[in-house]
Amino acid sequence: MHIIKSGTLVGLTAMFLSSTAGLAMAEPVTINFLTAEADGSFDAAIAAFEAENPDIKVNFETVPFDSMVPTIESRVGGKDSSLDLFLVDTPRVPAMANSGYLRDISDRLGAVEAVASEAAQSVLKYNGTLYALPLWTSTQLMYYNKDLFDAAGIAYPSSDAAARMTYDETVALARQVMAGSDAKYGFVPEQIDRYYQLQPIFEGNGGGTGLTGEGNLTPDVANDKWIAAGKFYSSLFEDGLAPRGIAVDQMQSVFTSGETVFYVTGPWRLKAFDEATNLNFGLAPIPYWTDSKAQTPTDSWAVGISPYAAHPEAALKFAEFITLNPAGVGLVLESIPNVPVNQQAYGPYIDWLAGENPAVGDDLKKIMTYELADTPVPRPRSIGYVAFETVLNRAFSDIRNGSDVASTLQQAQQQLGSQLRRIQ
Amino acid sequence: MTRWSNIRVAALFLLPAVVSVVLLRLWPAAIAVHQSLLAPRASSYSLENYLYIFTDPSFLNSVWVTLLFSFIINPLQIAAALGLAILFNNKLPMTGFWRTAVLLPVAIPQSVSAVIWAVAYRPDGLLNSLLQLVGIGPQRFVTSPEQALGSIMLVVSWIGVGYWMTMLIAGLQDIPKSLYESATIDGANGWHKFWYVTLPQLRRPLTFVLVADTVANFLVFAPVNILTGGGPQGSTDLIMNQIYTNAFVNGDQGSAAAATVVLVALVLVIVLIQFRLMGDGSER
Repeated sequence: MHIIKSGTLVGLTAMFLSSTAGLAMAEPVTINFLTAEADGSFDAAIAAFEAENPDIKVNFETVPFDSMVPTIESRVGGKDSSLDLFLVDTPRVPAMANSGYLRDISDRLGAVEAVASEAAQSVLKYNGTLYALPLWTSTQLMYYNKDLFDAAGIAYPSSDAAARMTYDETVALARQVMAGSDAKYGFVPEQIDRYYQLQPIFEGNGGGTGLTGEGNLTPDVANDKWIAAGKFYSSLFEDGLAPRGIAVDQMQSVFTSGETVFYVTGPWRLKAFDEATNLNFGLAPIPYWTDSKAQTPTDSWAVGISPYAAHPEAALKFAEFITLNPAGVGLVLESIPNVPVNQQAYGPYIDWLAGENPAVGDDLKKIMTYELADTPVPRPRSIGYVAFETVLNRAFSDIRNGSDVASTLQQAQQQLGSQLRRIQ
Repeated sequence: MTRWSNIRVAALFLLPAVVSVVLLRLWPAAIAVHQSLLAPRASSYSLENYLYIFTDPSFLNSVWVTLLFSFIINPLQIAAALGLAILFNNKLPMTGFWRTAVLLPVAIPQSVSAVIWAVAYRPDGLLNSLLQLVGIGPQRFVTSPEQALGSIMLVVSWIGVGYWMTMLIAGLQDIPKSLYESATIDGANGWHKFWYVTLPQLRRPLTFVLVADTVANFLVFAPVNILTGGGPQGSTDLIMNQIYTNAFVNGDQGSAAAATVVLVALVLVIVLIQFRLMGDGSER
């Protein structure tokens, strides 16, 4: 796949300061790079880096998404020098930095400031210290199945942000399409049980992020707005609009099989949906709550260096190559078309992505550009974020499986109170 | 050989086992006890971690779920393993094939088994399709608080029963045939032979299977982690899952170590009771 054309790469190169000043390596070293991405997804970038740096070999390691935190906890917590660098979900930077799991890389702050917005920089820092390099950010799109709309004789939803539907309108429309077609599900968020994707439903309802107080260490997940949002989320599964019993990593099959009206996920699913046989899809902005401002999930992986890395300088050099060097950024995007944090790379990126998906290209560019600029809401920054996310994700799972919403959230509130007090 | 040279030879032979026990058992256990007594950011010993877990509703729930799980699954697995062992110890057609088929899941990593079962448990999965064939409506399995623990038990038993069955078949084959012949001459029927010959003769392998199975079931983790994550509503939150979550997700090594010590104590007490119950009294 030739996704970032050579001309684009040249253009990108001109926009960045090259930060590949070589470090004298006395002997060849192998650095270990831990990710939650598919095997082969960094191969092109690694090959290019190794060609430029024959003294460094990069060993790519991957674990399932849910195993990233435990793996880092076990390896970095165990002072394992064989792990050099790894992907970090940016809301976890404060907790990991506080635990001493990330190396201070503040001397690279200038290079980061040259490419990332202030908001994007802030999520890489804790107490003013830079702990990670920016790889991607993210947004969410609402995919819809055009064939199901056609079968029901209903017009497609608009891709204009100004015509964004509310959650109630979306569900009502999904029900209409289900009634007039053989759709099995109406409205399916892909990352069920994960705060990242459910934040717009809960916080977007006006009940806050779920964390308040000094350092965001006081839970607030059982207020009326959260309970109302929880009841809406529960109803999706209770009423059969979304399926129970399907794991996140298998969820996309309910859309590729052509049986779902609306499906919310990121642009990284475009290729799989494009390749799915008999799937004719369109794009709309994700819904919002009446009387509230629209909000979309944001942030993504960054790259952190282990404080116990056997080869920190080599690891940092590779991290800079895939995050700050235009050639490296482009090669990674070839395999994983996530949104680059790099502000100047966004233009060439979105043009390329739209060109790769001509059937939805215009809508894709319009929606993503708007959402990334106007509606992103980051997850709360707290040293207790990992515990917060763990407890909440379990509560979301229970709500989805039919537990009473108010008592589940109150239980989560108590548990979080206890855990966050311990962290303080 | 002198007494001292005998001792030296014995010590030499024992050395690998002693070193292994110290390095792989006693040292990690000592570290766990040490960590369990160190509260977060503390430098002196206290019982704070224990106080924390024993006032944490999710840990108390996990103790209850683990005990419930053990009290149900151990007798069930042993009864199933014994039944299969007796069945496959007879000269049935293709006995070797059936024994292998039952034993085969042991060779599959637990995590892989759990992933396969996750697909089978899906609402549109194999199990609901089979139930539909016999006129039973779709079940929720791992998403139902009422069915999830049973679903985990099914997976764990599918994996483990064949292994315990093999142990018991070995025990059955050690029983002298003359005992059954004598019982037949005395007019014993099949049930009498089972009750008065097979079971007493199987006491030793059964004790091993009971103890080893109990310990194994206290340590069940992968199926829970993959299929339910401890939910729904904590209904499958076995202690091992709690320990994992505390240690490797929340980074709370102290409470995880305290929970580990509690788990080991719990297992020790139950295993001691089992040894007492299964002993034949000869050592008393």
